[in-house]
Amino acid sequence: MKSETIINLIKDWRVALLIVLVIGSLVGIYLAPPNPEKGLEGNLQFGLDLEGGSWLQMEFQSVIVSYSTDKPVGDLIENLQKSLEADVTQIDADHLEIRKSVSRADLEPIFAASGAKIVTYHEGVSQYTADDVKRILSKKVNALGMQDAKINLLTPTGSEYPQYVRIELAGVDMATAQEIVGKQGMFEIRVQTTGNQTEHVLFGDQITSVGVPQKDPYYQTWGVGFTLSDSGAQAFREAALKSGAVDNPSGHNLVMLLDNETVYSAPLSGELAAQIRSAPVKSLSATTGTGDAGLEDAMTLEIHLRAGALPVKVDVVGSGSVPAALGEQFKTTVLLAGLLALLTVGFVVYYRYREPSIVIPMLAITLSEIVILLGIARFIQQLDLASIAGLIAVIGTGIDQLVIITDEVLHEGRVPSSNLYMKRYGRAFGIIAVAAATVIIAMLPLALMDLSTLRGFAIITILGTMIGILVTRPAYGKVIMAILSK
Amino acid sequence: MEFVRYDVNKYSPRQMVTLPLVLLLIAGMVLGYTTLTTGLPLQPGIDFAGGTAVTVFTSDSRETIEATFSAYPLLSVGEGIGNGKYIKFGPMDDAQYQSLSALINEKYPDAKVDQIGETFGKTLQGQAFFAVLLSFIGMSIVVLIAFRNLVPAGAVVLAAFSDIAITAAIMQVIGIPLSLGTTAALLMLIGYSVDSDILLTTRVLKRKGKLEDKLSGAFRTGIIMTTTTLSAVAAMWVVSTAGQIQIISEIASVLLIGLFVDLMNTWMLNAGILKEYVLRSGKK
Repeated sequence: MKSETIINLIKDWRVALLIVLVIGSLVGIYLAPPNPEKGLEGNLQFGLDLEGGSWLQMEFQSVIVSYSTDKPVGDLIENLQKSLEADVTQIDADHLEIRKSVSRADLEPIFAASGAKIVTYHEGVSQYTADDVKRILSKKVNALGMQDAKINLLTPTGSEYPQYVRIELAGVDMATAQEIVGKQGMFEIRVQTTGNQTEHVLFGDQITSVGVPQKDPYYQTWGVGFTLSDSGAQAFREAALKSGAVDNPSGHNLVMLLDNETVYSAPLSGELAAQIRSAPVKSLSATTGTGDAGLEDAMTLEIHLRAGALPVKVDVVGSGSVPAALGEQFKTTVLLAGLLALLTVGFVVYYRYREPSIVIPMLAITLSEIVILLGIARFIQQLDLASIAGLIAVIGTGIDQLVIITDEVLHEGRVPSSNLYMKRYGRAFGIIAVAAATVIIAMLPLALMDLSTLRGFAIITILGTMIGILVTRPAYGKVIMAILSK
Repeated sequence: MEFVRYDVNKYSPRQMVTLPLVLLLIAGMVLGYTTLTTGLPLQPGIDFAGGTAVTVFTSDSRETIEATFSAYPLLSVGEGIGNGKYIKFGPMDDAQYQSLSALINEKYPDAKVDQIGETFGKTLQGQAFFAVLLSFIGMSIVVLIAFRNLVPAGAVVLAAFSDIAITAAIMQVIGIPLSLGTTAALLMLIGYSVDSDILLTTRVLKRKGKLEDKLSGAFRTGIIMTTTTLSAVAAMWVVSTAGQIQIISEIASVLLIGLFVDLMNTWMLNAGILKEYVLRSGKK
């Protein structure tokens, strides 16, 4: 090929776009930021099964029920709480979150007894509770200095309530992972006696339930309500009286500690002090402040009050672990599989066309497609074993489509005038576009499904098909035309 | 490529569609029988039925492994190249799983372990079924829009359906369970299947020329397409099976079977229907 043809070719936007994307992808993988100690892997993100680590998938033991009733909803909630011995919270005008795994059939008589009816029933938790779980888990993980943790809420297709939480910890074995998730802190309330001296009031086991942050309509302050057991309330009253907090609230702060670190400290309110003087009080509220800062503090305090326990019980429904050495071995194996696939494909097309000027561009285009795919995947999708299977499958379809283009334009011998060429290329492109659309449509459900571990496979396949149809096939059409019309 | 001896123009449409339709019927019977006896068209793997899968590289023999885990619901011990073993257990309760987990940790600390609970497996099953259904409907709509003609579009959809059904029946017969991986492979087959079908239909309906030439031209291109895909998938299968990467090996084996089934369905079933359609509309 003459250098003039090459220059003209590069000036074509299709070819230029391809080159720009390949360079951009290589920069993304290797130079931004540079990661030389990773060698060939650069900045690519690998999944747990290639990196080594553990995962746990847990199901929330909770249901969301929408109801209809003419009576006060407070009675219904109280009835439910009593008969189920579970936390029940109202999440919006007509939905209740019942934090217990209970069937619809078991719920119906309780609702009927309160003069209410179940309208819809879903397993899962409200978005708020789910986010709460996620926050608590990330806090635990971060406290142990693990940055490589992924915590995802999963919502089954067809439901709007998260039902599972999946946690992935790179470089951690199963036993450690379970310990991290299950571990709870020690929560304690103390009261200030004299000076900086404090005295023990009660431990976290006396707290029977913890509410969600709520705003006081009068003072505009945020706070978190919590309930004490009978003995807890009794202990609280005795300590408040003995320390002098009832007589002089401002001189005797109540201090909350989690694992011996102060997480909250404030005096009793005058109102509460007066109540406590006459009788033990079970329902308390800790006020944090106004505005967004107050809300944020209230959310943190809520977690602290639970001492790292999750607001809703979870059951492990799936788990797994891969030792790092095995992950490393898998990496080598899949690299080998990819190379071998490319090689055999090259061999087959050579057998068919016997023409290096066709086969070399075909393989070069396929290779550039893989590079661009990896370059984009680096930002949006970690590569696990399944997504690498997708990658290899894309090599297969990619070459298929290049064969369609080649055969279409070569129809009845050599390439004709550029007009006719474009007509034939258009026809080939039509076939490819329909085929690509069906692949994308067929993979879409899998890509959108939260639950499936095959999301990566579907996403890579769709992405690869799109890069093919938008970038690499058009460029190939131009390149092959320039080569064949010399 | 000697199996290319098949001549698309040699047989009448009736002859062409007979074999694929008979196989589709048999596949229907296999899947129907399995559904009647087990409630599912295919034997579910661990993803869908619940259970535990262990991948480990050890020189211990199959008998040793079976003896080690005899107290647990051991389903099978698969062997790969280079001491790779793939051990499968059925669902068990939490206490038993904890004890199994401890035993695996003690005997084979370098094992990859995956466990799925029984009810969660059921949920996954439902979701996967939903995905396959949606994919198939989506594909049918795209094909219908693309050809705006019931017979050719119907032929493509029938060929894709037949691909999945026959492949699934073969999986059942040779014992490849339905898992997330194999479900994805079946979905992928939809994509591969329509590739060559669309090539065939477009060439025959939208190009001018003699039917025989168009058919054999499409066949020539189609065969090379499927062969390249087959070779990529075969490479993937060989390496992943040898290296004990179960999920890729499963995906690849289903794709391999499916691509061969697709060769038949495209060039006998779909081509047969299309030929009949063109011959009839030509007579008018």
